[in-house]
Amino acid sequence: MGQSVERVREQIVESLPRLRRFARTIARHREDADDLVQITVERALLRFSQWRPDSPLESWMFGIMKNAWIDEVRARVRRDRVFAPEEAGEHVGEASHERQVNALSIQTAMAELPDEQRMAIGLVLVEGLSYKEAAAVLDVPIGTLTSRLARGRDALAAMLSDHEARGSSHPSPLPRGERE
Amino acid sequence: MTISDEILMAYVDGELDDASRDEVEDAMAANPDVARRVARQKALREELRVAFDGVLNEPVPERLVSAARTAPTASPAASVTDLSSARIERRERAQRRWSLPQWSAMAASLVLGVFVGQAILRSPASSPIVARDGRLIAQDVLAEALSQRLASDPSAAAPVHLGLSFRTKSGEYCRTFVLREGAVLAGLACRQGEDWEVESVAPNEPPATTGTGYRMAGAALPLTILQAVEGRIDGEPLDADEERAARENDWR
Repeated sequence: MGQSVERVREQIVESLPRLRRFARTIARHREDADDLVQITVERALLRFSQWRPDSPLESWMFGIMKNAWIDEVRARVRRDRVFAPEEAGEHVGEASHERQVNALSIQTAMAELPDEQRMAIGLVLVEGLSYKEAAAVLDVPIGTLTSRLARGRDALAAMLSDHEARGSSHPSPLPRGERE
Repeated sequence: MTISDEILMAYVDGELDDASRDEVEDAMAANPDVARRVARQKALREELRVAFDGVLNEPVPERLVSAARTAPTASPAASVTDLSSARIERRERAQRRWSLPQWSAMAASLVLGVFVGQAILRSPASSPIVARDGRLIAQDVLAEALSQRLASDPSAAAPVHLGLSFRTKSGEYCRTFVLREGAVLAGLACRQGEDWEVESVAPNEPPATTGTGYRMAGAALPLTILQAVEGRIDGEPLDADEERAARENDWR
């Protein structure tokens, strides 16, 4: 392995700003994003013996973060079902409320994308990973990655240009139901 | 020549080999429309970077640095394992009503012993949970609810609220429940032959108001129970139709 735990800990500390940035592209809320980083750090340390130093530590941790987020979303869906079924409709209402926020910044446009497109865009356009690296993080073929990137870009461009063109506070219909 | 969106995208992302890059650049020079499309893609990339780069200059919260420096590298007894527990912990810190410290980290059996002992078995004759041959078995109102009630058909007035139903890897049916008689308890019970064996139970937040306490009782479902579900479930929970079918088949 060659890497001491102490060395890895310091590398993680150095990576925290980037981990936080990727978390912000995934989670909508700041506090959630930092919780996600904390979980990622804890999980990474627990399994640091699985990390192969020939892949960048950050990419490896992005993958852990992706899985942590998917677990969270799954747990949330499940929790919503464990909870009172009558609450099921509330999140829909929340989402449509979010659509009506006044300024449609690029962050809010990102937040409207499906998780998989948001992660692809976060890794390639924000984190600057290559297609190969990003596909490895997301554990999908490169063709899947590029099609998520293309659809995510189109959706972002549509939301942003619509907003600018009309100068309005009502963004266009959203590509939420999109499937691969 | 026409340049596909995929090629333009790969160009902007720096993924093209030299020859293809030259082709795109020739096309940009020859065709203002191609140049405009590239400019738009570059602008989007730039806008995203600007939007998310801000966090790089923010001070990193101390708790994250300290997690990186001190979080255990071997299997811990109590560590944040997912966002739900982080959130639940946050909520519990904010509104802690149970004096038992860190009960969520305790073995389920201990929780069973303490709470069932105190809250439920006080009057065994009418208790919804009884100990039999070293197992805890649902009876009375709880057993009836587990066998009959559908989560998809909730009733605010019922003493037992059913949450989710699922199958385990070994094929048994299990269901989560919230019991609102006497103590407010949440639990997980699994079908064993004729019985519903209670595998996990934990105190639930008392409902804020009686009568409409239904929603509150569900909203604070204890972490212990969520973890028990995670540990047992195979695939996804039953949907309303599957749940009804399982009931018709007497949960076998």
